[in-house]
Amino acid sequence: MEQKLKRWFESLGDKKHPDEFDAKQLVKLYSIKVPRANRLGPDDQFDVDGINPPYVLKVCSSNILHKTELQGVVLNNDNECVQDNFKMIQKRFPNENILVENQSSYMGPEFIIGIIKDSALGHAVMVGAGGVLTELYKDTSFRLAPCSVNEAKDMIDELVLSPVFENFRGMSLDKKKLAHTISQVSILAHDLGDKLSQLDINPIVFSNGEWTALDVKVMFE
Amino acid sequence: MDKIVSLKRLLNPKKIAVIGASQSKNKVGGIIFRRLLDSRRRLFPVNPKENAIEGHKVSPDIQSLPEDIDLAIITISAAAAVQSVEKCIGKKIPNYIIVAGGFGEVGEKGRELQEKLTKLAKENHVNILGPNSLGIFLPDENIDTIFVEHGDKSLDRNGKVACIVQSGSVGVEALGYASNTGYGMRAFVGLGNKCDLDEIDFLKYFALDKKTNCLGFYLENIEKGRQFLTAAKETTREKPVVVLKAGRTQTAVSAVSSHTGKLAGSDNVISGALKQFGIQRVYDDEEFCDATKVLSMLSHAPGSRVAVLTAAGGYGVMCTDFIEKKDKRATLTMAKLSETSKKRIKQATFPFTACENPVDITASADDRMFSDSLDVLIEDEGVDIIICIAFFAPPGITENLIDIIADKIKRSDKPVIVFTKYGPFTDNSIKNLFYAGVVAYPSIGRAVRAARFLVERTRIKYRLDQEA
Repeated sequence: MEQKLKRWFESLGDKKHPDEFDAKQLVKLYSIKVPRANRLGPDDQFDVDGINPPYVLKVCSSNILHKTELQGVVLNNDNECVQDNFKMIQKRFPNENILVENQSSYMGPEFIIGIIKDSALGHAVMVGAGGVLTELYKDTSFRLAPCSVNEAKDMIDELVLSPVFENFRGMSLDKKKLAHTISQVSILAHDLGDKLSQLDINPIVFSNGEWTALDVKVMFE
Repeated sequence: MDKIVSLKRLLNPKKIAVIGASQSKNKVGGIIFRRLLDSRRRLFPVNPKENAIEGHKVSPDIQSLPEDIDLAIITISAAAAVQSVEKCIGKKIPNYIIVAGGFGEVGEKGRELQEKLTKLAKENHVNILGPNSLGIFLPDENIDTIFVEHGDKSLDRNGKVACIVQSGSVGVEALGYASNTGYGMRAFVGLGNKCDLDEIDFLKYFALDKKTNCLGFYLENIEKGRQFLTAAKETTREKPVVVLKAGRTQTAVSAVSSHTGKLAGSDNVISGALKQFGIQRVYDDEEFCDATKVLSMLSHAPGSRVAVLTAAGGYGVMCTDFIEKKDKRATLTMAKLSETSKKRIKQATFPFTACENPVDITASADDRMFSDSLDVLIEDEGVDIIICIAFFAPPGITENLIDIIADKIKRSDKPVIVFTKYGPFTDNSIKNLFYAGVVAYPSIGRAVRAARFLVERTRIKYRLDQEA
């Protein structure tokens, strides 16, 4: 893993703030599923090769933290409209890369998994109710990194959301797999060491039997 | 291991020097010296301005002390205290308690003095407790160096809780509560500014101490956080560890831009970490005392189903509300009593007794009815914990009930927690129950909370045993 991390780090343009595509490559190293995607540069030809519709288009830049607020995301693109919308975003952000991604369908609520560095205790991993309202719900639980799969299960059990794993309204979500993912993220933090400042996987959703990271942000010191 | 041996000399010294001991009963050095007179240890007061205190000859300087002193208690002010330690090191004294403030907590100059102490401790391999330490108090060893008023007279021997506190006043209040209502204190240690000895040293010491069965910490900062947590987890496999952590932690990130960073803002991280390492967290001194009391007197709960036995209907209903209230620490449920149990209780009491849990034997009940009903609940396999609402106001109920409950507890491993109120005699009732070996609290909420501590502890122990 050390070699893989090193190679990933060396491939980065902005070493402090990797963009979404690079951040997703990082979590992929820890067996966390991400949607299929192409990152297209300002001069690149439009290309959806190997990606199934519907598509998401997102501006992909380490300079832009809140892309939704800046109208940098277009959802629900089919084969017909995707090219026009691509051009529209390109016009809005002429100097930035654009991400074309398969838009995953999913079951149940959105979760967030994150990492924070505490001044006294070092890296802590968090799981919580995710999505754009995550900071309003404040339904979270924390453990220090690295944490075991069993400890991660305890974290999930502490959430107000936890009944969704008990066949709530017919949902069948895999708690064990989510716990495994939380543990993997905590190991990632542990492996990256002191330089890792913050990480958000938000949302992470249950799509086709796997927990899938739809957006990832990573920040270094 | 060396540290453990040397801490033993600090906590159970044979020869004690009191630097700054005084005739005056108002001076710290005077109060501490007089307290130590009861300890039956050899005392060596040092004060250049005095000749004799309470019949003890006073040494004019540290130089004239013998060489085999175990502990020096430094009662003089900051700068002079540092000089005294330097001189005492010359006399090979291995342990120090520094009472004075005016160190790291007051600015640059104080910080420099404190750093000097840290350096002295490290370079000369001596133990320094404090500065700004409230002192130590071990009833079994008859050692008490605490200069402020506390319940020293009313605390009995054979206590099992080690209390390690960073702040003096919180610790003293805990001691006050303890002495009012009965509490088994094994040791009290005031850490103060932690220039050398810290929570980890005493955690390791009392983890191995055979007389300790529960450890409680009041901490404001945990500098060596991971180290403390790891050591505490080792301890908590055998003995419960309770932490009252005050003061919110800051995240190291200057500009928190992630959702996680914003959500971590308060002390969620520390809460999660304590849970992860099997430590039970409390939030104030009352909860601290309540938790350590129940955890040192009762070892575990077989489950979380609670039966309530009461002679006062209203409190039975209130108790049910508290039990069924959602609480993150541990979920409790009202036990469902077996048909046989219900029949037996009716036979032992009245045909009209409400047996659907809470079991209300009414104010017409007497000691025998209470006793028989308690037997039934202890024997019912659907019951894990029993909360007894013990009132002495009904004419048929006497203080013999205390011994009745105590006797049953001795013969059963099902935990029984008592809620009692008795007008102005409440504290005394609780204390009498404590002497008989029964855990009691003066409110329903606190009795139910104590049950949660017990269930939480049982879960932690189970989890750690599974891991091992």
